[in-house]
Amino acid sequence: MPSARADCSCCDRCADAGGAEGATAARRRFRKAAIFRPQSEAAYRGRRPTTAGVINGTGSLVPGNGFANPAELPRTVTGTVLDVSPHVLVVGEIGCEQRFILTADAVAWRGSLLEPAAVRQGDRTVIRLHPSNRNVADRIWANIGRVTGIITERSATTLVVDEGATREPQVVTIQPRHLGRILVRFPTLEPGFLVDIIGLRRGGELDGMIPATSQPAYPANRLPTPPLVSGHVPDSISGSATWHEPRDEPPGVLGVAYPALDPETGCAEDAAGRPGHGYMRLPYLAVGSVLRVKNDCTGKDCLVPVTRCASMARLFNDRCVTCGTSPRGRIADLTLASFIALGGELERGCFNATITIGE
Amino acid sequence: MLIAVREVQIPLVAVMLLGGCSAKLLRITRTGSMDGALGPTALFPLRLRGPLAITVCAIELGLGLGLILTAGQLGAGTSAMCMRLGACLLFLVATSALFELRATRPDVGCGCFGDFSTAPVSIRTLARSALLAVAALSTIGLKPIHPPKSSAAALLLLAILAAELVVLGVLSPELGEGLVRLGYAEPCELRDVPTERTMAALRRSKYWRRLSGLIASETPADTWRELCWRYVVYPSTYMDRNAELVFAVFLRQRRPTIHAALVDAVTGEPLPMLPGQPARGWLNLAWLRPVNVLAARLAGLAAPDTASAGPDIPFSSDL
Repeated sequence: MPSARADCSCCDRCADAGGAEGATAARRRFRKAAIFRPQSEAAYRGRRPTTAGVINGTGSLVPGNGFANPAELPRTVTGTVLDVSPHVLVVGEIGCEQRFILTADAVAWRGSLLEPAAVRQGDRTVIRLHPSNRNVADRIWANIGRVTGIITERSATTLVVDEGATREPQVVTIQPRHLGRILVRFPTLEPGFLVDIIGLRRGGELDGMIPATSQPAYPANRLPTPPLVSGHVPDSISGSATWHEPRDEPPGVLGVAYPALDPETGCAEDAAGRPGHGYMRLPYLAVGSVLRVKNDCTGKDCLVPVTRCASMARLFNDRCVTCGTSPRGRIADLTLASFIALGGELERGCFNATITIGE
Repeated sequence: MLIAVREVQIPLVAVMLLGGCSAKLLRITRTGSMDGALGPTALFPLRLRGPLAITVCAIELGLGLGLILTAGQLGAGTSAMCMRLGACLLFLVATSALFELRATRPDVGCGCFGDFSTAPVSIRTLARSALLAVAALSTIGLKPIHPPKSSAAALLLLAILAAELVVLGVLSPELGEGLVRLGYAEPCELRDVPTERTMAALRRSKYWRRLSGLIASETPADTWRELCWRYVVYPSTYMDRNAELVFAVFLRQRRPTIHAALVDAVTGEPLPMLPGQPARGWLNLAWLRPVNVLAARLAGLAAPDTASAGPDIPFSSDL
């Protein structure tokens, strides 16, 4: 069986996803707010600029003016299942448990849709809470995982996938019963081609079950030439929004990995010889920039900060067909919590999205 | 001579209005939306921007056509007076709005000619708007225009028109943008601009000359880029506490616009004064700001006291 290589480097723009990244993003927002807000006004109001404000514990920001609307966006909890009964789900660690009521409408996913009570002890779950009640579980995903990247090795049922210079390579096992479904959308499971598969996490490996999208026809090193763009880039750009597993990020972060960070910051992807530009010519941003991401299928939108680079998302020229057909190209690779907060269903892999920059 | 100068203003102002309206319509057809923050509409909440932009576009179209139709005998008198007064008022309001835009959103273009007007509002833009207001004002009370009776009179009108067009061209940042577009030029949002070039432009600027004394270290603490701006942060000190001097440099080839601010290194609070900082404008329009704050509150978007807003990335569990 192919083994995953363990060496990976990091760079400024793909900084570690822990607290340092969040602090960098926040500092940049405040510095920018100080530049583009008259100092006299800041002094006049006697408080911190609001454009860089984030939602606080009391959720006092009004809709459209903060990073998220607490009244409307679903909340997400991640944890390990300690106990489950037909009416109650207990997740967390021993001594730090959270209990959630399971309603008759609640649905779980564990490779396929099933009753919430079918979730097992020890499963790693992502729980979407009911918008009106923090104690009610609305949707549960157990052991869900996703691998997006370039195939580097292949054996009979196993793929090793490179997810970028800043992430560990991933091993995907595809059982024969799932292979047919995956081959429909990913006909070329050969080294050098792109792959995006959703499945169940089993230790460090992914048991691939569902193709998250359709495979681009080109190998990753032969990206189509992006179309020339003249004039100014429109403020709103439509395309496909996907999600990625937290891995080294804290679970629950509301953020987005953006496919076009400034190449001047020196990214490990560029050092690794990957294409400088992605399929879509998106305006350059940095960690800390803020985007309004709108789910075109549900109409929900919120402001989310850029937290890292989406080095693999920029290689895809696929469309999302969750509701209608989106324009080609991935415009945002959301954290799991952001994807769910905007009404996305994890097992579908994407939603049609519109991003607005510069608000 | 004075009459000839006044007569030239009517077609000139009308063409400027119709040109502005056409460029805005072009932007709508290209992007399919007018919600984008461009021009003084950026001062308003998102949901009001579209209707406001359409209203401004309709007013420009109406006034532009009205000025032409009422220039001669047709509609002379009250109609002509209304159109000319309306044009004058429009440019006066536009000038005030651009002053405010420059003070509150210095990163946003004036949007006067749609996508062509994305460069930050400058003194030139303000001067052009004020000049057009004066031009429209000069037409009030003017009698109906007749075709020139001699070739000398026609030449005089043409000469005045050419001179005024030159002045307007000098005052229009859009002219350079249009010339760039005649060939292919990548938009600044997508252009690869080396950091060294930004640093060189910054070091040549008057901001650097005046503020470099505040810098505690030659090495920037942070550098990042967002759209057409690159931000450079230097460590500094302010009244015995750690501070940061933040520069924003517009990514343009020549004479880029630069802004600077001093912020507290720990809290991120903007510090109230920068010794020797160049003033942003000639006039202090602080008296307009309470009006804006009130308007935002009426629109339901005035932010509450955010002193407690934490600097961390929002977490789902906070929602």
